[in-house]
Amino acid sequence: MQKKSAEKLTAAQKLVAQCDRCGTCLTVCPLFGSKDIESSAARGKNSILRALASGGLEPTKDVRAALDFCLLCQRCVETCPAKVKTDEAMILARQYLADNAGGASLKYKIVGGVMGSPLMVKMGALGLSIMRKLGLNSLAPFGAAPDEYTRTHFMTAFSGPGALGKTVPLSETKVDKNSRVAYFKGCGMQILFPEAAAQTMEVLGRITTPVTRDNVCCGLPHLAHAMEADFFKLAKENIRQFEDVDIVVSDCASCSGTLKHIASHFADDPEWKDRAAAFSAKAMDLTEYLAKAGYVPRQTNNAVITYHDPCHLVRGQGITKEPRSLLAATGEFREMKDADVCCGGAGSFFLDYPEISDSIIDKKRLNIEATGADIVVTGCPGCLIQLNKAAKASGKFKALHISQVV
Amino acid sequence: MSINDAILSKLRAVVGKEHVLTSDLDRFGYSYDSSPIPLTPANKPELVVRPRTTAEVSAVMKIAFEHGIPVTPRGAASGRTGGTVPLQGGIVLTLDRMTDILELDEKNMMVTCEAGVRTMDLYDFCARKGLFYPPDPASWKYSLIGGNIAENAGGMRAVKYGVTSNYVMGLEVVLADGTVLKTGGKSIKNVTGYNLTQLIVGSEGTLAVVTKAILRLIPMPAKRGVMQVFFPSLDDGCNAVHSMLQKNIVPSVAELIDDVSLEAVSRQRNLKLDPATKACLIIEVDGPDEASLNQQAEAIAKVVAENNSISFRVAQSQAETDELWAIRRGMSSAVAATAPNRLGEDISVPRDAFPEAVRRLKELSRRSGLRIAVFGHAGDGNLHPSVLCDLSDPEQEKLAHEVVGEIFSIALAVGGTLSGEHGIGITKKPYITDALGEAGVAALKSIKQALDPKGILNPGKIW
Repeated sequence: MQKKSAEKLTAAQKLVAQCDRCGTCLTVCPLFGSKDIESSAARGKNSILRALASGGLEPTKDVRAALDFCLLCQRCVETCPAKVKTDEAMILARQYLADNAGGASLKYKIVGGVMGSPLMVKMGALGLSIMRKLGLNSLAPFGAAPDEYTRTHFMTAFSGPGALGKTVPLSETKVDKNSRVAYFKGCGMQILFPEAAAQTMEVLGRITTPVTRDNVCCGLPHLAHAMEADFFKLAKENIRQFEDVDIVVSDCASCSGTLKHIASHFADDPEWKDRAAAFSAKAMDLTEYLAKAGYVPRQTNNAVITYHDPCHLVRGQGITKEPRSLLAATGEFREMKDADVCCGGAGSFFLDYPEISDSIIDKKRLNIEATGADIVVTGCPGCLIQLNKAAKASGKFKALHISQVV
Repeated sequence: MSINDAILSKLRAVVGKEHVLTSDLDRFGYSYDSSPIPLTPANKPELVVRPRTTAEVSAVMKIAFEHGIPVTPRGAASGRTGGTVPLQGGIVLTLDRMTDILELDEKNMMVTCEAGVRTMDLYDFCARKGLFYPPDPASWKYSLIGGNIAENAGGMRAVKYGVTSNYVMGLEVVLADGTVLKTGGKSIKNVTGYNLTQLIVGSEGTLAVVTKAILRLIPMPAKRGVMQVFFPSLDDGCNAVHSMLQKNIVPSVAELIDDVSLEAVSRQRNLKLDPATKACLIIEVDGPDEASLNQQAEAIAKVVAENNSISFRVAQSQAETDELWAIRRGMSSAVAATAPNRLGEDISVPRDAFPEAVRRLKELSRRSGLRIAVFGHAGDGNLHPSVLCDLSDPEQEKLAHEVVGEIFSIALAVGGTLSGEHGIGITKKPYITDALGEAGVAALKSIKQALDPKGILNPGKIW
């Protein structure tokens, strides 16, 4: 349920009350790693939030910018001795500031508007394919429109003689035949990676008959950028649409994470509480579902594969083994250093802070190259944008969504 | 504002424009550290200056000296007593960009590094060559060597290996007027003039800015083993440690945990404890091989049994070792989670006074009604009493600060002192005369006057 504005600040302040400013977060924050000043890491942001609540700081433009400058990647939460939930506090504080200091910023409203509308999402996808055909995607700002590297390219490149004899038979599904499985169409996948989204449908089609709906955006961009009312509207619409299925699978780490968390947002709402809880219980990441269903990859090949953990899978949902097992079953899997460090994409962060974002993905690129991998795989369209940039800069590897590889 | 545009331009010319932070928000960000000093009203500096080299530090100090601008040196701001809080505004001088390890001298077993190197990075760097930098303050993963030196940081291994000062062979520092001074060196025996190196270690940034250090290393012990012992009373635990040391069984770590802390950690980790358990001792031993560890473990088993131990467990695998350590490492946060606020203190007493100090702390807890959790380094007499309270309640806040005052009185009454490893900073200032006497404080002041005649280096600290 939506909290009143002042309560949001109090709730945020409560979340950070256990921060004793020790500084552990400074060593793990990817932003502090690129811009090492106090306001970059959780200690700085939590202190700003406290000062805001106690009247020591005014909600100035700088304060808003500092609280927006967070990847919400939860690395600090994971490492913090007191497990201070800085990411949740930032979301609450952003909403509080938007309510009290002039609303969400226009650029987020535009993004939120596009993603809040299924029609706009489709048009976005169309726009991208036209841009690709015209070769204009390199003109898109900061690499937001990725080059297309398809499953076909992947198979052509890696299904050499070494792979031919090893083609695996159709996977035996362990999922209950009666389970009604739906595919949740995420905006990022639809707009930017329609080819990968199609592969997800094919993978799902091998073990079930997935249905799709005219679902709306999961609402994470709205939640993260102070458009909470929109988030609740979208969440309710999605709850309604999937009430008749048993499992809702998403191939986007952020979507599945958000869908799983919808229950907690409605915990105080007597009308929606139970429906939201039932909905969240159905949500699954693609790899989680595939692991539960005992899916066996469509082929094995000689590609060397490494994996990047999306924040919303590794810390958001504790999913690390499933994707790795799937990848190890299809090619030669090699773990990279700091696989779970945020890629710097973080929704629209990479558009807002391109230089910082670039410096973060550059570290990732070096780690990928060090494995000698041909392919870096992930399960999040936001990460995939960043990894595509890294692939382009490197030339030594390609970036693919996991559904394109397994 | 005492720093005018002309001075600002000079500082920018020295370190580069992007390394002088002037915005209100950035000034706020460098107004606090990890002490309980309130965030508001903020002790904002006028500027944050972030040099990269000793020459830049020197140039900044020359400008500050000329204009009488206060300068507060700062590392990771992980200090617990307000040492890096810029009480008088002026400049916060961060050393966190000076992150080079300059030389590893394997023959002399010494490492030379800049002040901004993280303690853990230094440890890892040396460990890769089989060398050991033992000081391990709880903050070692994020604190910087410069700060460790300025506060003479200790840690759990102090019982066997000593504290930071035991490893500092020489320093490069910048004095208040910008003079670059080198003290000590690689010679192990050195009585040439006053021991300025050790004067600066623990001086909390009030005498000079540490820019580089030569640190002594020892060979890395090949093997380590961890044990956990439960006792029916804290006295038994303390006696066991004393007995070990008297018998020349020197554990590398001997951490004692009281019942309040144990309860907190067992609640957090869902552990079931024998209700008779009133104290826990975590012991680490190290040595060249398994045989040496086994020998020590057997000797320790005997000693703890003589001191009424309830249970004795030796970690048999890495997982078990991690589990035992997790109890100790998770202590601060587990204890903190049981109350809205925790005032963590750092008193140090003669080793044999440890049980008496704890008894008096428990009595203080009963009298004041505030819970006090105690854990600490039993081997060296350094205790960390945590006063658990709710600072949002004004009455409790007042009481909590009174209790902290009484903790210091207890430390002094049993022959101990105010701080083992956190320093005096701001938070313990009111008690310094009680600890050192008028003559002691006067001596400190005359040293300060000699090295920093204008009083610009970290003013308002220690006394």
